[in-house]
Amino acid sequence: MNRYGFRHVARMEWIKLRSVRSTWWLAIAAVLAMAVAGAAVGLGYRSHTPVATAAQIFNNSLAGAIVAQLLLGALGVLMVTGEYGTGMIRSTFAAVPRRRTVLAAKAAVCGGLALTAGLAASFAGYLGGQLAIRGTAIPAASLGDPAILRAVVLTGGYLGATSLIGVGVGAVVRHSGAAVGTLFALLFVPMIAAGLFGESAVAVGRFVPLLMLLNSIAVTSPVPGLFAGWVSVLLMGGYAAAAILCGGVLLRHRDA
Amino acid sequence: MIELRELTKRYGRRVAVDALSVRVQPGVVTGFLGPNGSGKSTTMRMILGLDAPDRGEALIDGVRHRDLRWPLKTVGALLDAGAFHPGRSGRAHLAALAAGNDIPASRVEQVLRIVGLSGVAARRAGTYSLGMRQRLGVAVALLGDPAVLLLDEPVNGLDPEGIRWIRDLLRELAAEGRTVFVSSHLIAEMALTADRLVVIGRGRLLAETTVAELAAGADSLEDAFFRLTAQATDYRGVEAS
Repeated sequence: MNRYGFRHVARMEWIKLRSVRSTWWLAIAAVLAMAVAGAAVGLGYRSHTPVATAAQIFNNSLAGAIVAQLLLGALGVLMVTGEYGTGMIRSTFAAVPRRRTVLAAKAAVCGGLALTAGLAASFAGYLGGQLAIRGTAIPAASLGDPAILRAVVLTGGYLGATSLIGVGVGAVVRHSGAAVGTLFALLFVPMIAAGLFGESAVAVGRFVPLLMLLNSIAVTSPVPGLFAGWVSVLLMGGYAAAAILCGGVLLRHRDA
Repeated sequence: MIELRELTKRYGRRVAVDALSVRVQPGVVTGFLGPNGSGKSTTMRMILGLDAPDRGEALIDGVRHRDLRWPLKTVGALLDAGAFHPGRSGRAHLAALAAGNDIPASRVEQVLRIVGLSGVAARRAGTYSLGMRQRLGVAVALLGDPAVLLLDEPVNGLDPEGIRWIRDLLRELAAEGRTVFVSSHLIAEMALTADRLVVIGRGRLLAETTVAELAAGADSLEDAFFRLTAQATDYRGVEAS
């Protein structure tokens, strides 16, 4: 090797990510949030009449993803804005002047960790719900059921993509508070706005992150009119790619 | 060697660095002097590719910073004492930057020893004193054992012992044949550390000289500096009464 490359930069970013506490707090909080939400849903349905269906329990027990997406999204944002806020970015660019390589490495490393944490969180939500209904008449949902397994895995994928959107937003906005606010607005405002479309709300809503999560991804079968779960997750990946691309273009032209 | 060719940077209508052309030679410590706001830090940031010049270029051994194959092994920089994440340990900070340029982990321990931070390397850098932060910055600069060193106000916040340590270190590095470019607004300190001087004011080159030449014909080096920068100082107070 006669020149630094993506491999070196990715190692640099991985050491950076794992050596700040906020990374682990956010990842653990995301898993806990989904576990608690899952368990709460299960407990709430224990003495519910009529007896809940397996799909009811399962779909609702993944609702913690609403919180987990914010935590893992913030993780992605901080990966970039944490450097601008502290001056670390100057040390980074002095070591690796090819800025888009830095951004790509950040996305790879953060995406990998967030996907892992997202899958763990999603599974924790499922498990929380199932454990909480043990000993009741409510039928259990098995991971052996392809529809169940698919929803758990796709929810993890959605969470990973949200974190990558965070990386892109962080690179565009650069200020931690403003970037986290922007990310939250991007996740919630379109959902509210979709409601204003009346009859065509579903046609618009199937492109909206949070609505995709609740009606197409984290459910056994998507609500009619929405995309299949995997299409929704791919769409989220597309949003993430667009955000990171915007960040990459701006990164190149702005002073550090 | 560092070579600046007609280097120019504007912020809006204000010209921060104005057609600056300088050669910084290896083997000596070159002091970069100028009043506050004269463009020293902006120049250093442009050499490192952090700020893009509006005109001209800065070359390190004939190459622009962004084209360097192993940036940290070519040029080491201390930009300011805060270019790290406060939540990360000093050791992890160095390990991450080292990994980016394929520098072995043993070198991290080596530079920690050189700057005297081995004992606190596991602590979060945010808990360091200003002097320790400067030492961490110097450790980053030395990480790749580069032939060119760029230090922006390295003695800021250091105690007298630390100042002497920096002074000896810089002279030693220059004696090994490296290019050492040190900015400061402290003339007395530069007189002790530097051999050559580059003096700027309002972003323009005022003098490229030696400490001995500048001091000649004036009562003190300080007087000579004031005479040189008299027309190029932006911020000046008046007597209080």
